[in-house]
Amino acid sequence: MSSAFHFESLVWDWPIAIYLFLIGVSAGMTTIAVFLKRRVLVDGASRDGIIKATAIIAPLAVIVGLVILIFHLTRPWTFWHLMIFYSPTSVMSMGVMLFQVYMLVLLAWLAVLFRQEIASFLEQRFKAFRWINGIISVLARFERVLEPLMIFLAVALGAYTGFLLSALKTYPMLNNPVLPVLFLFSGISSGAAAAVLFGITWFKQPIDSPSVHFVHQIEKPVVLFELFLLLALFVGLFFGGGQREAAAIAAIGGGFWSNVFWFGVIGLGILLPLIMSMVCSKRVQHSKSYMIAVACMGLSGILLLRFFILYAGQMTVA
Amino acid sequence: MSCSRRHFIAGMGAVIFMTGPVNRTLAQTMSINGIRYGMVYDETRCIGCTACMDACREVNKVPEGVSRLNIIRSGPTGEFPEAKYQFYRHSCQHCDNPPCVDVCPTGASYKDAATGIVDVNPDRCVGCQYCIAACPYRVRFIHPVRKTADKCNFCRDTNLAQGKLPACVESCPTKALTFGNLDDPNSEIVKLIENRTTYRAKVHLGTEPKMYRIPSKHGEIKG
Repeated sequence: MSSAFHFESLVWDWPIAIYLFLIGVSAGMTTIAVFLKRRVLVDGASRDGIIKATAIIAPLAVIVGLVILIFHLTRPWTFWHLMIFYSPTSVMSMGVMLFQVYMLVLLAWLAVLFRQEIASFLEQRFKAFRWINGIISVLARFERVLEPLMIFLAVALGAYTGFLLSALKTYPMLNNPVLPVLFLFSGISSGAAAAVLFGITWFKQPIDSPSVHFVHQIEKPVVLFELFLLLALFVGLFFGGGQREAAAIAAIGGGFWSNVFWFGVIGLGILLPLIMSMVCSKRVQHSKSYMIAVACMGLSGILLLRFFILYAGQMTVA
Repeated sequence: MSCSRRHFIAGMGAVIFMTGPVNRTLAQTMSINGIRYGMVYDETRCIGCTACMDACREVNKVPEGVSRLNIIRSGPTGEFPEAKYQFYRHSCQHCDNPPCVDVCPTGASYKDAATGIVDVNPDRCVGCQYCIAACPYRVRFIHPVRKTADKCNFCRDTNLAQGKLPACVESCPTKALTFGNLDDPNSEIVKLIENRTTYRAKVHLGTEPKMYRIPSKHGEIKG
Protein backbone atom coordinates (compact mmCIF):
# COMPACT_ATOMS: atom_id res chain seq x y z
CA MET A 1 0.00 0.00 0.00
CA SER A 2 2.87 2.35 -0.68
CA SER A 3 2.57 4.88 -3.48
CA ALA A 4 3.49 8.50 -4.14
CA PHE A 5 0.30 9.70 -2.44
CA HIS A 6 -0.03 7.03 0.25
CA PHE A 7 2.88 5.99 2.40
CA GLU A 8 3.31 5.13 6.04
CA SER A 9 5.02 8.28 7.30
CA LEU A 10 2.53 10.58 5.54
CA VAL A 11 0.29 12.57 7.88
CA TRP A 12 -0.77 15.72 6.01
CA ASP A 13 -2.00 15.14 2.47
CA TRP A 14 -3.03 17.14 -0.62
CA PRO A 15 -5.62 19.56 0.86
CA ILE A 16 -2.77 20.99 2.95
CA ALA A 17 -0.69 21.55 -0.20
CA ILE A 18 -3.55 23.51 -1.79
CA TYR A 19 -3.97 25.48 1.44
CA LEU A 20 -0.25 26.32 1.51
CA PHE A 21 -0.49 27.47 -2.12
CA LEU A 22 -3.53 29.70 -1.55
CA ILE A 23 -2.04 31.37 1.51
CA GLY A 24 1.16 32.06 -0.46
CA VAL A 25 -0.84 33.65 -3.29
CA SER A 26 -2.74 35.87 -0.85
CA ALA A 27 0.35 36.96 1.08
CA GLY A 28 2.31 37.55 -2.14
CA MET A 29 -0.44 39.52 -3.87
CA THR A 30 -1.03 41.73 -0.85
CA THR A 31 2.67 42.48 -0.41
CA ILE A 32 2.97 43.43 -4.08
CA ALA A 33 -0.24 45.47 -4.10
CA VAL A 34 0.81 47.64 -1.15
CA PHE A 35 4.18 48.36 -2.78
CA LEU A 36 2.46 48.97 -6.13
CA LYS A 37 0.14 51.50 -4.56
CA ARG A 38 2.90 53.32 -2.69
CA ARG A 39 5.57 53.30 -5.39
CA VAL A 40 3.68 53.49 -8.69
CA LEU A 41 0.02 54.39 -8.41
CA VAL A 42 -0.08 56.69 -5.37
CA ASP A 43 -3.55 58.11 -6.18
CA GLY A 44 -6.38 56.47 -8.02
CA ALA A 45 -5.13 53.00 -7.06
CA SER A 46 -8.69 51.72 -6.87
CA ARG A 47 -9.03 52.03 -10.67
CA ASP A 48 -6.05 49.77 -11.32
CA GLY A 49 -6.76 46.22 -12.54
CA ILE A 50 -4.03 44.65 -10.45
CA ILE A 51 -5.29 46.31 -7.28
CA LYS A 52 -8.83 45.19 -8.14
CA ALA A 53 -7.61 41.63 -8.69
CA THR A 54 -5.85 41.73 -5.30
CA ALA A 55 -8.99 43.04 -3.62
CA ILE A 56 -10.87 39.96 -4.82
CA ILE A 57 -8.24 37.20 -4.81
CA ALA A 58 -6.26 38.02 -1.65
CA PRO A 59 -9.16 37.72 0.83
CA LEU A 60 -10.84 34.95 -1.18
CA ALA A 61 -7.70 32.78 -1.25
CA VAL A 62 -7.41 32.99 2.53
CA ILE A 63 -11.09 32.20 3.04
CA VAL A 64 -11.02 29.23 0.65
CA GLY A 65 -7.72 28.04 2.18
CA LEU A 66 -9.13 28.16 5.70
CA VAL A 67 -12.35 26.39 4.67
CA ILE A 68 -10.23 23.60 3.13
CA LEU A 69 -8.24 23.48 6.35
CA ILE A 70 -11.31 23.31 8.58
CA PHE A 71 -12.74 20.39 6.62
CA HIS A 72 -9.37 18.66 6.82
CA LEU A 73 -9.74 18.50 10.62
CA THR A 74 -11.03 15.18 11.88
CA ARG A 75 -13.54 17.19 13.92
CA PRO A 76 -14.39 20.17 11.67
CA TRP A 77 -17.14 21.53 13.90
CA THR A 78 -14.74 22.05 16.78
CA PHE A 79 -12.60 24.47 14.72
CA TRP A 80 -13.63 27.32 17.04
CA HIS A 81 -11.48 25.73 19.76
CA LEU A 82 -8.56 27.09 17.76
CA MET A 83 -9.91 30.58 18.22
CA ILE A 84 -10.39 30.48 21.97
CA PHE A 85 -7.60 28.23 23.24
CA TYR A 86 -4.18 29.59 22.37
CA SER A 87 -0.79 28.06 22.91
CA PRO A 88 2.21 30.37 22.51
CA THR A 89 4.56 27.45 21.76
CA SER A 90 2.48 26.31 18.78
CA VAL A 91 3.23 27.82 15.38
CA MET A 92 -0.29 26.88 14.29
CA SER A 93 -1.88 28.67 17.21
CA MET A 94 0.12 31.82 16.52
CA GLY A 95 -0.90 31.43 12.87
CA VAL A 96 -4.59 31.45 13.79
CA MET A 97 -4.02 34.74 15.58
CA LEU A 98 -2.10 36.07 12.59
CA PHE A 99 -4.91 35.09 10.21
CA GLN A 100 -7.46 37.02 12.20
CA VAL A 101 -5.36 40.18 12.36
CA TYR A 102 -4.36 39.80 8.70
CA MET A 103 -7.97 39.52 7.53
CA LEU A 104 -9.07 42.51 9.61
CA VAL A 105 -6.23 44.73 8.41
CA LEU A 106 -6.63 43.54 4.81
CA LEU A 107 -10.34 44.36 4.81
CA ALA A 108 -9.66 47.72 6.49
CA TRP A 109 -6.94 48.58 3.98
CA LEU A 110 -9.13 47.60 1.02
CA ALA A 111 -12.10 49.52 2.43
CA VAL A 112 -9.97 52.65 2.70
CA LEU A 113 -8.56 52.08 -0.78
CA PHE A 114 -12.02 51.70 -2.32
CA ARG A 115 -13.76 54.23 -0.08
CA GLN A 116 -15.17 56.32 -2.97
CA GLU A 117 -16.52 53.26 -4.77
CA ILE A 118 -18.02 51.91 -1.55
CA ALA A 119 -19.59 55.30 -0.78
CA SER A 120 -21.25 55.65 -4.18
CA PHE A 121 -22.35 52.00 -4.13
CA LEU A 122 -24.02 52.41 -0.74
CA GLU A 123 -25.58 55.69 -1.87
CA GLN A 124 -27.20 53.99 -4.85
CA ARG A 125 -28.18 50.61 -3.42
CA PHE A 126 -28.02 50.34 0.36
CA LYS A 127 -28.77 53.69 1.90
CA ALA A 128 -29.42 52.00 5.24
CA PHE A 129 -25.76 51.01 5.42
CA ARG A 130 -24.37 54.49 4.94
CA TRP A 131 -22.94 54.40 8.47
CA ILE A 132 -20.20 52.15 7.03
CA ASN A 133 -18.78 55.24 5.35
CA GLY A 134 -18.25 56.79 8.76
CA ILE A 135 -16.17 53.80 9.90
CA ILE A 136 -14.14 53.88 6.70
CA SER A 137 -13.39 57.58 7.07
CA VAL A 138 -12.12 56.92 10.59
CA LEU A 139 -9.92 54.09 9.23
CA ALA A 140 -8.71 56.35 6.41
CA ARG A 141 -7.02 58.56 9.00
CA PHE A 142 -4.75 55.63 9.82
CA GLU A 143 -3.87 54.87 6.19
CA ARG A 144 -0.19 55.73 6.72
CA VAL A 145 -0.03 53.19 9.57
CA LEU A 146 -2.23 50.64 7.83
CA GLU A 147 0.09 50.21 4.85
CA PRO A 148 3.34 49.26 6.63
CA LEU A 149 1.28 47.10 8.98
CA MET A 150 -0.29 45.38 5.97
CA ILE A 151 3.15 44.62 4.51
CA PHE A 152 4.38 43.30 7.85
CA LEU A 153 1.35 41.01 8.22
CA ALA A 154 1.52 39.80 4.62
CA VAL A 155 5.21 38.94 4.95
CA ALA A 156 4.52 37.21 8.28
CA LEU A 157 1.73 35.19 6.66
CA GLY A 158 3.92 34.24 3.71
CA ALA A 159 6.62 32.95 6.03
CA TYR A 160 4.13 31.41 8.48
CA THR A 161 3.29 28.41 6.30
CA GLY A 162 7.02 27.66 6.13
CA PHE A 163 7.37 27.88 9.90
CA LEU A 164 4.32 25.64 10.26
CA LEU A 165 6.19 22.82 8.50
CA SER A 166 9.66 23.62 9.81
CA ALA A 167 8.42 23.03 13.39
CA LEU A 168 8.14 19.31 12.60
CA LYS A 169 11.26 17.69 14.07
CA THR A 170 10.05 14.37 12.68
CA TYR A 171 10.92 15.20 9.10
CA PRO A 172 14.50 16.39 8.49
CA MET A 173 13.63 17.93 5.11
CA LEU A 174 10.89 20.08 6.63
CA ASN A 175 12.67 20.85 9.91
CA ASN A 176 14.77 23.39 8.10
CA PRO A 177 15.35 27.14 8.46
CA VAL A 178 15.30 27.72 4.68
CA LEU A 179 11.65 26.69 4.43
CA PRO A 180 9.99 29.90 5.75
CA VAL A 181 12.12 32.05 3.43
CA LEU A 182 11.47 29.74 0.48
CA PHE A 183 7.73 29.80 1.14
CA LEU A 184 7.71 33.58 1.47
CA PHE A 185 9.53 34.17 -1.82
CA SER A 186 7.70 31.51 -3.79
CA GLY A 187 4.51 33.02 -2.36
CA ILE A 188 5.51 36.44 -3.65
CA SER A 189 6.30 34.94 -7.03
CA SER A 190 2.89 33.21 -7.14
CA GLY A 191 1.28 36.48 -6.01
CA ALA A 192 2.93 38.30 -8.91
CA ALA A 193 1.76 35.66 -11.38
CA ALA A 194 -1.78 35.76 -10.02
CA ALA A 195 -1.78 39.58 -10.08
CA VAL A 196 -0.78 39.67 -13.75
CA LEU A 197 -3.08 36.82 -14.74
CA PHE A 198 -6.26 38.13 -13.10
CA GLY A 199 -5.36 41.79 -13.61
CA ILE A 200 -5.09 41.52 -17.38
CA THR A 201 -7.85 38.97 -17.96
CA TRP A 202 -10.68 39.80 -15.53
CA PHE A 203 -9.99 43.48 -15.05
CA LYS A 204 -8.67 44.29 -18.52
CA GLN A 205 -5.57 46.01 -17.21
CA PRO A 206 -3.54 47.15 -20.26
CA ILE A 207 -0.36 45.10 -20.48
CA ASP A 208 1.77 48.16 -21.21
CA SER A 209 0.57 49.97 -18.08
CA PRO A 210 3.08 50.99 -15.36
CA SER A 211 1.49 48.65 -12.81
CA VAL A 212 1.86 45.52 -14.97
CA HIS A 213 5.40 46.65 -15.73
CA PHE A 214 6.11 47.01 -11.99
CA VAL A 215 4.85 43.53 -11.16
CA HIS A 216 6.70 42.10 -14.13
CA GLN A 217 9.92 43.73 -13.00
CA ILE A 218 9.96 42.07 -9.59
CA GLU A 219 9.11 38.61 -10.98
CA LYS A 220 12.51 37.70 -12.38
CA PRO A 221 14.71 38.55 -9.35
CA VAL A 222 12.24 36.80 -7.05
CA VAL A 223 12.27 33.65 -9.19
CA LEU A 224 16.07 33.63 -9.33
CA PHE A 225 16.25 34.00 -5.56
CA GLU A 226 13.76 31.15 -5.24
CA LEU A 227 16.07 28.99 -7.35
CA PHE A 228 18.97 29.87 -5.05
CA LEU A 229 16.88 29.02 -1.96
CA LEU A 230 16.07 25.60 -3.41
CA LEU A 231 19.78 25.08 -3.99
CA ALA A 232 20.55 26.16 -0.41
CA LEU A 233 17.82 23.84 0.91
CA PHE A 234 19.19 20.74 -0.77
CA VAL A 235 22.88 21.53 -0.36
CA GLY A 236 22.16 22.08 3.33
CA LEU A 237 20.44 18.71 3.54
CA PHE A 238 23.28 16.94 1.71
CA PHE A 239 25.90 18.46 3.99
CA GLY A 240 23.75 17.67 7.04
CA GLY A 241 24.45 13.94 6.63
CA GLY A 242 22.46 11.10 8.16
CA GLN A 243 18.71 11.31 7.72
CA ARG A 244 18.98 14.83 6.26
CA GLU A 245 21.08 13.50 3.43
CA ALA A 246 18.77 10.50 3.08
CA ALA A 247 15.79 12.87 2.86
CA ALA A 248 17.43 14.93 0.10
CA ILE A 249 18.31 11.83 -1.93
CA ALA A 250 14.80 10.38 -1.49
CA ALA A 251 13.26 13.68 -2.59
CA ILE A 252 15.25 14.66 -5.67
CA GLY A 253 17.31 11.57 -6.51
CA GLY A 254 14.65 9.71 -8.50
CA GLY A 255 11.05 8.58 -8.28
CA PHE A 256 7.69 10.28 -8.67
CA TRP A 257 8.26 13.34 -6.46
CA SER A 258 11.74 13.79 -7.89
CA ASN A 259 10.16 14.05 -11.36
CA VAL A 260 7.62 16.54 -10.05
CA PHE A 261 10.52 18.61 -8.71
CA TRP A 262 12.80 18.53 -11.76
CA PHE A 263 10.19 18.75 -14.49
CA GLY A 264 7.41 20.64 -12.72
CA VAL A 265 9.01 22.97 -10.18
CA ILE A 266 12.37 23.64 -11.81
CA GLY A 267 11.54 23.00 -15.49
CA LEU A 268 8.01 24.33 -15.97
CA GLY A 269 7.93 26.82 -13.11
CA ILE A 270 11.39 28.41 -13.26
CA LEU A 271 13.60 27.49 -16.24
CA LEU A 272 11.06 27.54 -19.07
CA PRO A 273 9.82 31.09 -18.31
CA LEU A 274 13.45 32.25 -17.95
CA ILE A 275 14.46 30.66 -21.25
CA MET A 276 11.37 32.07 -22.95
CA SER A 277 12.26 35.56 -21.78
CA MET A 278 15.69 35.15 -23.36
CA VAL A 279 14.59 33.52 -26.62
CA CYS A 280 11.32 35.26 -27.48
CA SER A 281 11.31 38.66 -29.19
CA LYS A 282 10.15 41.78 -27.35
CA ARG A 283 7.03 41.87 -29.52
CA VAL A 284 6.01 38.37 -28.44
CA GLN A 285 6.83 39.11 -24.83
CA HIS A 286 4.54 42.12 -24.85
CA SER A 287 1.57 40.09 -26.02
CA LYS A 288 -1.27 39.23 -23.73
CA SER A 289 -1.19 35.50 -24.47
CA TYR A 290 2.53 35.31 -23.66
CA MET A 291 1.94 36.96 -20.30
CA ILE A 292 -0.97 34.67 -19.50
CA ALA A 293 1.09 31.62 -20.44
CA VAL A 294 4.06 32.67 -18.28
CA ALA A 295 1.78 33.49 -15.33
CA CYS A 296 0.11 30.08 -15.62
CA MET A 297 3.48 28.33 -15.72
CA GLY A 298 4.63 30.23 -12.64
CA LEU A 299 1.45 29.40 -10.74
CA SER A 300 1.60 25.71 -11.72
CA GLY A 301 5.26 25.53 -10.71
CA ILE A 302 4.53 26.93 -7.26
CA LEU A 303 1.50 24.73 -6.72
CA LEU A 304 3.71 21.75 -7.61
CA LEU A 305 6.42 23.08 -5.27
CA ARG A 306 3.91 23.01 -2.40
CA PHE A 307 2.90 19.46 -3.27
CA PHE A 308 6.52 18.40 -3.63
CA ILE A 309 7.69 19.92 -0.32
CA LEU A 310 4.71 18.52 1.57
CA TYR A 311 4.86 14.96 0.20
CA ALA A 312 8.59 14.51 -0.36
CA GLY A 313 9.20 16.19 3.00
CA GLN A 314 7.20 13.54 4.81
CA MET A 315 8.87 10.60 3.08
CA THR A 316 11.92 10.52 5.37
CA VAL A 317 11.69 10.37 9.16
CA ALA A 318 14.48 11.57 11.48
CA MET B 1 21.11 53.72 44.83
CA SER B 2 24.59 53.36 43.40
CA CYS B 3 25.26 51.17 40.41
CA SER B 4 28.85 50.06 40.43
CA ARG B 5 30.32 47.91 37.70
CA ARG B 6 30.58 45.07 40.19
CA HIS B 7 26.87 45.26 40.94
CA PHE B 8 26.02 45.50 37.28
CA ILE B 9 28.01 42.37 36.39
CA ALA B 10 26.53 40.46 39.32
CA GLY B 11 23.06 41.60 38.28
CA MET B 12 23.56 40.57 34.67
CA GLY B 13 24.86 37.22 35.86
CA ALA B 14 21.67 36.73 37.82
CA VAL B 15 19.57 37.74 34.81
CA ILE B 16 21.41 35.30 32.55
CA PHE B 17 20.99 32.55 35.12
CA MET B 18 17.30 33.22 35.58
CA THR B 19 16.47 33.42 31.88
CA GLY B 20 18.94 30.96 30.41
CA PRO B 21 18.32 27.40 29.27
CA VAL B 22 19.27 26.10 32.72
CA ASN B 23 16.00 27.32 34.10
CA ARG B 24 14.01 25.77 31.32
CA THR B 25 15.59 22.38 31.92
CA LEU B 26 14.93 22.67 35.65
CA ALA B 27 11.34 23.68 35.07
CA GLN B 28 10.76 20.73 32.81
CA THR B 29 12.50 18.00 34.74
CA MET B 30 11.80 19.02 38.31
CA SER B 31 8.40 17.99 39.50
CA ILE B 32 6.62 19.59 42.39
CA ASN B 33 5.24 16.40 43.87
CA GLY B 34 8.41 14.47 43.21
CA ILE B 35 6.81 12.20 40.62
CA ARG B 36 8.12 11.86 37.10
CA TYR B 37 6.96 8.58 35.64
CA GLY B 38 9.14 6.63 33.28
CA MET B 39 9.51 3.09 32.02
CA VAL B 40 12.27 0.62 31.35
CA TYR B 41 11.76 -1.90 28.57
CA ASP B 42 14.18 -4.81 28.83
CA GLU B 43 14.76 -6.13 25.32
CA THR B 44 16.74 -9.06 26.75
CA ARG B 45 13.67 -10.26 28.64
CA CYS B 46 10.96 -9.61 26.08
CA ILE B 47 9.85 -12.79 24.30
CA GLY B 48 7.42 -11.09 21.95
CA CYS B 49 4.31 -12.78 23.39
CA THR B 50 2.34 -9.51 22.92
CA ALA B 51 0.39 -10.01 26.16
CA CYS B 52 1.11 -6.31 26.83
CA MET B 53 -0.56 -5.30 23.57
CA ASP B 54 -3.71 -7.26 24.37
CA ALA B 55 -3.88 -5.97 27.93
CA CYS B 56 -3.47 -2.38 26.75
CA ARG B 57 -6.23 -2.78 24.20
CA GLU B 58 -8.62 -4.26 26.73
CA VAL B 59 -7.96 -1.88 29.64
CA ASN B 60 -7.94 1.29 27.56
CA LYS B 61 -10.72 0.19 25.15
CA VAL B 62 -8.53 0.76 22.11
CA PRO B 63 -10.56 -0.02 18.94
CA GLU B 64 -9.44 -2.40 16.23
CA GLY B 65 -7.25 -0.94 13.51
CA VAL B 66 -5.24 1.31 15.82
CA SER B 67 -2.99 0.61 18.79
CA ARG B 68 -1.30 2.45 21.63
CA LEU B 69 1.36 -0.20 21.92
CA ASN B 70 3.10 -2.41 19.41
CA ILE B 71 5.88 -4.93 19.86
CA ILE B 72 7.86 -4.97 16.66
CA ARG B 73 9.76 -8.14 15.93
CA SER B 74 12.85 -8.14 13.77
CA GLY B 75 14.99 -11.03 12.71
CA PRO B 76 15.67 -13.85 12.84
CA THR B 77 19.42 -13.58 13.02
CA GLY B 78 21.18 -16.92 12.68
CA GLU B 79 19.89 -20.28 11.52
CA PHE B 80 17.44 -22.58 13.29
CA PRO B 81 17.79 -23.76 16.07
CA GLU B 82 20.01 -20.79 16.94
CA ALA B 83 17.65 -18.27 15.36
CA LYS B 84 17.27 -15.13 17.49
CA TYR B 85 14.66 -12.41 17.31
CA GLN B 86 14.80 -8.85 18.52
CA PHE B 87 11.85 -6.97 19.94
CA TYR B 88 11.19 -3.27 20.04
CA ARG B 89 8.48 -1.49 21.97
CA HIS B 90 6.69 1.07 19.83
CA SER B 91 4.66 3.36 22.08
CA CYS B 92 4.63 6.87 23.55
CA GLN B 93 8.05 7.78 24.99
CA HIS B 94 6.59 10.36 27.41
CA CYS B 95 9.18 12.93 26.44
CA ASP B 96 10.21 15.50 29.01
CA ASN B 97 10.36 17.93 26.11
CA PRO B 98 7.49 16.64 23.96
CA PRO B 99 7.23 18.02 20.39
CA CYS B 100 3.55 17.01 20.23
CA VAL B 101 2.76 19.30 23.16
CA ASP B 102 4.79 22.17 21.70
CA VAL B 103 2.91 22.15 18.39
CA CYS B 104 -0.63 21.53 19.69
CA PRO B 105 -2.60 24.72 18.91
CA THR B 106 -5.33 24.24 21.50
CA GLY B 107 -3.46 22.76 24.45
CA ALA B 108 -5.26 19.43 23.96
CA SER B 109 -1.87 17.73 24.05
CA TYR B 110 -0.28 18.40 27.39
CA LYS B 111 2.26 17.15 29.86
CA ASP B 112 0.67 16.50 33.23
CA ALA B 113 2.68 18.55 35.74
CA ALA B 114 1.98 16.19 38.64
CA THR B 115 3.20 12.99 36.96
CA GLY B 116 5.20 14.00 33.88
CA ILE B 117 2.83 11.90 31.76
CA VAL B 118 2.13 13.21 28.25
CA ASP B 119 -1.61 12.98 27.66
CA VAL B 120 -4.41 14.17 25.36
CA ASN B 121 -7.55 16.00 26.39
CA PRO B 122 -10.02 14.70 23.77
CA ASP B 123 -12.60 17.39 24.50
CA ARG B 124 -10.25 20.09 23.33
CA CYS B 125 -8.68 18.26 20.36
CA VAL B 126 -9.81 19.47 16.91
CA GLY B 127 -8.01 16.74 14.96
CA CYS B 128 -5.56 18.92 13.04
CA GLN B 129 -3.02 16.07 13.24
CA TYR B 130 -0.14 18.48 13.83
CA CYS B 131 0.90 16.39 16.87
CA ILE B 132 0.84 13.19 14.81
CA ALA B 133 3.20 14.77 12.30
CA ALA B 134 5.37 16.31 15.04
CA CYS B 135 5.98 13.09 16.98
CA PRO B 136 9.30 11.66 15.75
CA TYR B 137 8.42 8.30 17.34
CA ARG B 138 5.28 7.91 15.17
CA VAL B 139 3.13 6.71 18.06
CA ARG B 140 0.08 8.96 17.73
CA PHE B 141 -3.09 8.19 15.81
CA ILE B 142 -6.64 9.40 15.39
CA HIS B 143 -9.03 7.43 17.57
CA PRO B 144 -11.56 6.02 15.08
CA VAL B 145 -14.54 6.59 17.38
CA ARG B 146 -13.68 9.86 19.10
CA LYS B 147 -11.92 11.33 16.03
CA THR B 148 -9.30 12.86 18.33
CA ALA B 149 -5.57 12.25 18.76
CA ASP B 150 -4.77 9.30 20.99
CA LYS B 151 -1.79 7.36 22.32
CA CYS B 152 -0.40 5.65 25.45
CA ASN B 153 -0.80 7.63 28.66
CA PHE B 154 0.65 5.02 31.02
CA CYS B 155 -2.98 4.07 31.81
CA ARG B 156 -3.31 7.39 33.65
CA ASP B 157 -7.10 7.36 33.46
CA THR B 158 -7.54 3.59 33.87
CA ASN B 159 -5.15 1.36 35.83
CA LEU B 160 -3.05 4.14 37.35
CA ALA B 161 -6.16 5.96 38.54
CA GLN B 162 -7.16 2.74 40.37
CA GLY B 163 -3.76 2.50 42.04
CA LYS B 164 -2.56 -0.30 39.76
CA LEU B 165 0.44 -0.50 37.48
CA PRO B 166 -0.05 0.18 33.74
CA ALA B 167 -1.76 -2.76 32.00
CA CYS B 168 1.31 -3.70 29.95
CA VAL B 169 3.53 -3.86 33.05
CA GLU B 170 0.97 -5.86 34.96
CA SER B 171 0.48 -8.40 32.20
CA CYS B 172 4.12 -9.00 31.22
CA PRO B 173 4.96 -12.64 32.02
CA THR B 174 8.74 -12.11 31.88
CA LYS B 175 8.87 -8.86 33.84
CA ALA B 176 10.44 -7.06 30.93
CA LEU B 177 8.73 -3.81 31.92
CA THR B 178 9.52 -1.65 34.93
CA PHE B 179 7.40 1.39 35.65
CA GLY B 180 8.12 3.99 38.29
CA ASN B 181 9.23 7.40 39.48
CA LEU B 182 12.48 8.59 37.91
CA ASP B 183 12.81 11.32 40.55
CA ASP B 184 12.82 8.86 43.44
CA PRO B 185 16.41 7.66 43.98
CA ASN B 186 15.16 4.59 45.86
CA SER B 187 12.68 3.42 43.24
CA GLU B 188 13.15 0.13 41.44
CA ILE B 189 13.31 1.89 38.07
CA VAL B 190 16.11 4.27 39.10
CA LYS B 191 18.16 1.39 40.52
CA LEU B 192 17.64 -0.58 37.33
CA ILE B 193 18.78 2.31 35.12
CA GLU B 194 21.79 2.91 37.37
CA ASN B 195 22.91 -0.70 37.19
CA ARG B 196 22.20 -1.65 33.60
CA THR B 197 23.24 -0.30 30.23
CA THR B 198 20.27 1.52 28.75
CA TYR B 199 19.54 3.65 25.71
CA ARG B 200 16.74 5.92 24.62
CA ALA B 201 15.44 6.37 21.08
CA LYS B 202 16.35 9.44 19.02
CA VAL B 203 17.91 11.43 21.88
CA HIS B 204 19.65 13.64 19.31
CA LEU B 205 16.31 15.36 18.72
CA GLY B 206 16.37 16.77 22.25
CA THR B 207 12.99 15.31 23.20
CA GLU B 208 14.30 13.70 26.44
CA PRO B 209 12.20 10.53 26.25
CA LYS B 210 11.42 8.76 29.54
CA MET B 211 11.27 5.32 27.91
CA TYR B 212 14.57 3.63 28.75
CA ARG B 213 15.59 0.47 26.93
CA ILE B 214 17.98 -2.30 27.90
CA PRO B 215 19.47 -3.36 24.56
CA SER B 216 19.07 -6.85 23.21
CA LYS B 217 22.10 -9.12 23.56
CA HIS B 218 21.98 -10.23 19.95
CA GLY B 219 23.40 -7.94 17.36
CA GLU B 220 22.36 -7.65 13.77
CA ILE B 221 24.60 -6.84 10.86
CA LYS B 222 23.41 -4.01 8.67
CA GLY B 223 24.78 -2.72 5.39
